[in-house]
This record gives sequence, structure tokens and C-alpha cells, in this order.
Amino acid sequence: MGTTSADGPGNDGLFAVGRPVPVGTYLRDLWHRRDYLVRVPLEDLRVQNAHTLLGNLWLLLNPVLQVAVYLLVFGVLIELDRGVDDYLAFLTVGVFVFHQAQRTVTTGARSVVANAGLVRALRFPRAALPVGSAIGQLLSFAPVLVVMLVVTLAHGHAPDLRWLALPGLLAALTALGLGAGLLSARATHTYRDLENLLPFLFRLLFYLSGVLYSVDHFVADEALRALFAVNPLYCLVTTWRWALIGTEVSGLAWAGTVAWPTLFLITGFVAFRAREATYGGGS
Amino acid sequence: MTAATPTAIRCIGVEVRYTVRSYRPLLRDLLRGNAPEATTVDALRGVDLEVGVGESVGVVGPNGSGKTTLLQAMTGVLPLAGGELLVRSLPTFLGVKAALRPRSTGRSNIRIGLLAQGLRRDEAEAMVSEVAAFTDLGPAIDRPMETYSSGMRARLHFAIATALTPDILLVDEALAVGDRAFRERSARRLDEHRAAAGTVLLVSHNLAEVRRSCGRTVWLQEGRIVADGPTDEVLRDYEAS
Repeated sequence: MGTTSADGPGNDGLFAVGRPVPVGTYLRDLWHRRDYLVRVPLEDLRVQNAHTLLGNLWLLLNPVLQVAVYLLVFGVLIELDRGVDDYLAFLTVGVFVFHQAQRTVTTGARSVVANAGLVRALRFPRAALPVGSAIGQLLSFAPVLVVMLVVTLAHGHAPDLRWLALPGLLAALTALGLGAGLLSARATHTYRDLENLLPFLFRLLFYLSGVLYSVDHFVADEALRALFAVNPLYCLVTTWRWALIGTEVSGLAWAGTVAWPTLFLITGFVAFRAREATYGGGS
Repeated sequence: MTAATPTAIRCIGVEVRYTVRSYRPLLRDLLRGNAPEATTVDALRGVDLEVGVGESVGVVGPNGSGKTTLLQAMTGVLPLAGGELLVRSLPTFLGVKAALRPRSTGRSNIRIGLLAQGLRRDEAEAMVSEVAAFTDLGPAIDRPMETYSSGMRARLHFAIATALTPDILLVDEALAVGDRAFRERSARRLDEHRAAAGTVLLVSHNLAEVRRSCGRTVWLQEGRIVADGPTDEVLRDYEAS
């Protein structure tokens, strides 16, 4: 087996187990498990609609229906589309980018608690659980991305050089979700209460991230706008819109798109690893 | 064990402690200062054990005596509260069950189970058909696992978990499952494994199984070893207790 113990061979060729491993070994063990980390979410994605009539067509239908509902409620009934020419494309990008971040954080937060059996049975770097769930979310984002591109193209936004930024933006989105997911997974392990709070936190953020409306047109107060500008999710929603539909973007939003994911990923990883030994029980 | 036999597992005063509370303290309790006492359960209280390469050791004891905890500690999934645990190579625990997905087919689960145990994709692919053959599930191997009977599931688990022939194999009550033919086949696989100079630790309440496959037996009681010696002697005392 390729997984090696932390300490090199000691006396009599024996290794010590049950000790924390240095970060380099930890990351190497994680890398060694890459096939497993991709295989499991792929498999789950493949079978998740096994009991439905339409099968994996649902992977596409879900995002389409979601946009339809938001368009009906916010575009037609409430007319939040003030100051936005192509509201459907604007809305589509906002909703999907936001939900992608939300899902990555939420599933990451649950990953350790939900896999308690696996944690007790097999030895592996525990970060594999949030990382695996982030990979799963990344994979299921593929059909969503297709819908997003179709909608923006249908709105007359031709393919653009700005699309080249998409891989980077996708990496930033995933890193933000994974980092916050690692933080939440650690917190959820100690305080299960957080599971109940996360949905409300995201509901609040949903309205504070300019997903449904143009902040420039609805928020007049300068101080309030500054608050929006430092919101990591608002930064990402804005830069994604820039790439897909060419809306204006501030330098601050770019800075946030780079800085927030980096910050969350590093602190999330460090905080998660600090409690590594306790995830399987014991103290 | 002769002095020439190299050591596979060495436990020196191994302690494992779980912190349990009768209930999770609510904020209300914390504010009033009457939080429940956190009780620590000493699952293992200083276990000294030396297992040689190629030895088969049975582990017996009543429920809650620390048998499974001892095996888990050897795989490194539990932090030690004290002592030292050294192994020649990382032991595999027959615990792959938790990695399997009910909606996936038996064959997909073999792939997942092998990857979960640390194999690379190409290594796993090379073994899939061999493991599938060992399960003897026939065409059912390509049906979702959720359609299996418990016996069929048990066969799948055992086949996956023993596919790797690690140097040190930890078995926790694996043989009490499956029909008679499969039980015999799994016993034979463990025999083959031992013959290949592998080390086996077998936790079981099935004393006949322990007698059949282990020359030496350790008796755990409340997290301590109370007897360690030839299986016949230890089990005679154990049954008399």
C-alpha cells in the first residue's frame, strides 16, 4: 500500500501510528488518494437519479427550472429588473454562482459528520472528505455551466475573450467554497448547531450579494455599497457577470475574487487540520 | 514466539480515552453553571502486546472490553491518550463497508472499495474481475448493491476487504456472515493469507473460529489484557469466567 506512516522507520523497522503527521506528508497522502476522491462523486452523480423517469436529464432540468422560477417571481411579478437590460442572463449567472458556493460550503460542512463510519474504519487524511465533496460539487456544476452559457449566448452575448477568465473564476469559486467548507466542517464537528444556522446565513447572504438585483441601482448609500463590496460572494458574482455578460467590475471586486478564496482556503485548511485527530472519536 | 521472529505490532502501555457526556450541555446549562460532568471512558488502559510477523492472534472479551478500539488504534484512526503503538506496516482493518454506495453496482463498489483502501486507479482496475469472481455473486455483481440480501452484501464486503493481502490484517467478526460455502471459502482465504507470512488479529465472539485459526489468544477485560497465551488455555479460563 502506498500510504505511509508519518514517522520514518524507527527501531526494528517499526512505525509509530496514532500520531499527527507533518503537513507535507499530509498533502502527499491526500494527493495519493486523488483517484478515490474523483471516483466517488462521479459515481454518486451517476446514480443519484437512478430512481427517476428522466434520469440524469435532471442534472440539466434542475438549473433550468430554477431560473424559470426566479424569472417569474423577480422578473415578471416584482420587477426587480430595473437598471438591467438582459435580466435573464444577469439573474442566471448570479443565482448559479451563488448556489454553487452555497452547496460547496454546505456539503463540505456536513462531510465529516456524515462520513463518521468511514472516518472510524479507514485511515486517510480527513481533509479528503471536504475536498471530495468540493470535487463532487465541481463536477455537478458542469451542466449548470452549460445552461449559463446557453442563456448568455441566447441573449446575444457572443463568445468573448473574457471567457478565458472562466477557469480561474471557477477555481476561485471552488476554493472559496472549500475553504469555508473546511472551516464549517471543523465547527460543525464541535457544534452541530451550526448545521441549523448555515441555511439562514446563506439566505441572508443571498439577498446581500446582489444576486437578484443590481446593487448599483438599488443601493444608494455609499457606506452600504462599501459593505457589499467586501462581501466575498458579491465579489465573485460580479466578476462572473463580467466574464459572461460584460457588466462593469471594480478593482475591489477583482481583489476580493483573488484574496477571499486564498484566505478562506488557507485558514480553513489550518483550522481543519488542527482537530484532525478528533474526527474519528477519542480525545 | 521465538526470539528470531521479527515484531509486526508492538503496543507499549497503549491508552485510548473517549470523552462522553450523558447529554450535550445546552447553553442554558452552561449559563447556570450546571453543565453535565464530562465523563472520560478509558477504552484501553495500558495495553502491552507484542505480535510477531506471521502470528495469528485471537482477541476475545465481553462487549465493551476494548477489542474493536484496540484494532482501530492499530490502524491509526484513533489518537492515543498514552503509550506507544508501533507497527511494521500499516494494518488494514476489515472496515471498508462504510465506503460503499448502496445505489452503485457490486462491481462499481469493488472499484470504490479498492480505491478507498489506498490503491491507484490502474492498480484497482487490474484487480476488479478477480475480486468479483471471489464474491461468487454471478450476474448480481452488476446489479445495485441495495438489491442485495445481507448475506450477499457480506460476501462483497469480505471479498473487497481481503483483496489486498496486507502484511497485517485486522478482522472484526467478519466470518460470522454469508452462507456455509462462503464461510468456508473466507476461512480458506484467511488461511492462505497466514501462509503468506501475514499477521492476523481476529476479534470474535465465535470461539470455535478463534480456536480453529489462532494459535495464541489475548483476553481483554475493561481495557486491560487479563490473559495472553496459547488459545486453548486462555479460552478455557475465558469460558469458565
